[in-house]
Amino acid sequence: MELPLSAIAMLIFGSVVLYGGLAYFLYRAMKSKRI
Amino acid sequence: MVDNIAKKEYWNSRFAFVMAAIGSAVGLGNVWRFPFICYENGGGAFLIPYFVALFTAGIPLMILEFSIGHWARGSPPEAFKKIGKKWEWAGWWAVLVPFIIALYYVVVMAWCFSYMIYSIDLRWGSNANIFFKNFLGDTGTPEIFGSISLPVVFGLIVIWLFVFVILYKGVKRIGKIVAITVPLPTILLIILTIRGLTLPGAIEGISYYLTPNFSRLTDVNVWLAAYAQIFFSLGVAQGIMITYASFLKKKSDITNNAFIISLADAGTSFLAGFTVFSVVGYLASSQGLGITELGIGGPTLTFITYPTAISLLPVAASFFGMIFYIALLTFGIDSAFSMVEPIVSGLNGKWKISKAKATGFICVIGLLISLVFTAGSGLYWLDIVDHFIANFGLVMIGLVECLILGWMYSIYKFREHANKTSEIKIGIWWDYLIKYIIPSILLILLVIAVFDNITNPYLNHPWWVIIFGGVSPCITIFLLSFVLMKIKKHREAV
Repeated sequence: MELPLSAIAMLIFGSVVLYGGLAYFLYRAMKSKRI
Repeated sequence: MVDNIAKKEYWNSRFAFVMAAIGSAVGLGNVWRFPFICYENGGGAFLIPYFVALFTAGIPLMILEFSIGHWARGSPPEAFKKIGKKWEWAGWWAVLVPFIIALYYVVVMAWCFSYMIYSIDLRWGSNANIFFKNFLGDTGTPEIFGSISLPVVFGLIVIWLFVFVILYKGVKRIGKIVAITVPLPTILLIILTIRGLTLPGAIEGISYYLTPNFSRLTDVNVWLAAYAQIFFSLGVAQGIMITYASFLKKKSDITNNAFIISLADAGTSFLAGFTVFSVVGYLASSQGLGITELGIGGPTLTFITYPTAISLLPVAASFFGMIFYIALLTFGIDSAFSMVEPIVSGLNGKWKISKAKATGFICVIGLLISLVFTAGSGLYWLDIVDHFIANFGLVMIGLVECLILGWMYSIYKFREHANKTSEIKIGIWWDYLIKYIIPSILLILLVIAVFDNITNPYLNHPWWVIIFGGVSPCITIFLLSFVLMKIKKHREAV
């Protein structure tokens, strides 16, 4: 059985929003000098 | 009685705060509750209301709670008192609710503790269903109390002892503990996910998890479950984030931290879905059943389905069983002590009771009350209390928080406070979310939930069971919050 296209779309959407977002805010936190 | 409170406590570093808050947010809710709620509410379709709830309520409320805690530099009751003397009760209400959650949360952790030990020889055998019945002494109904399960009592004592040892020394010890207990379960979860995805039938499970069924989006209960899950999982509307932010130093970032913590929490839930659904798919494929035929619901997923699937693993079944329950325990312990910390801080702040004494007192009271859930009927009572506290208590506190801060106080002051100390600036849209959007959503959800629960008693339990297990804890803690507000402060009493 293969993953339906709508499931793949949800996988990409969820990953980009959650992990992409997390990576972005972690990057900004590391660049920032705030404690 | 007056000892260590004169000295204000602070986190060791930004890392310690972020890890502690992630540890608090990420817990059994992500692994035990999220896949089960997701499964019950249309699989992949649930991700849509879940993401909507995260961005429209979870993150904005977390920014709000960090701002309140950082601004007030005190426990939730002190913070609400600083806003207005008459609002102190809201702070007490917000610390009592997570304490109630902690009472049954530690019981689930005690189950995990026993199952971690049983994983060594896969003691549940080929039929985890029967073992679970024997293990809990399930009475089949909440109306028959049943006998106390000794393994659960033993696990309960161990968990409460851990909570005490971690908390009584204050936040500096929490900072050290979370440096281990936050990354470890995430690594274990990744290992389990990789193993799960390599099993036959895993794709079918993942397909059920991710394929959106948009028709479910018209069901209001799905949206209620999404918002409740966000409140339950993120630790907002529980006084936890207010308490943790009160230990931040003056120039600490608020907004960026709120995004990191919320996304890490939701990201873990998303990952845990793969861990669980890949194994559910494997089990369905091994037993020649459809995924919907497995009858998964509540703790069944974690304590029947998962162990059954583990027994069927061809290689290293015991190893994977152990790391699953170690992951659950390490995920859960951070959340468990974070639910106890707000009430300890409240007692410490108002009556100047030392952290050690307050923690000891709360842990002993907690242990005694938790024993109720170790009986044969405990599973049912736990489920009823959870349903009412998560779906009503948390939603109501979120609503009250928005109404008091948005309408009785100048909300823009908190936005300005957050912007003054944060790298990322939030706009006026945030004010609108706190003042109009979030309370409106919560109010609608609450009214519908009340109507639903009146017309259809939860799981068709008798009314006395619902009133005793669901309604009365909610009303009791609401009234208790006023009593705690009225009891005079230490200095005033003297």
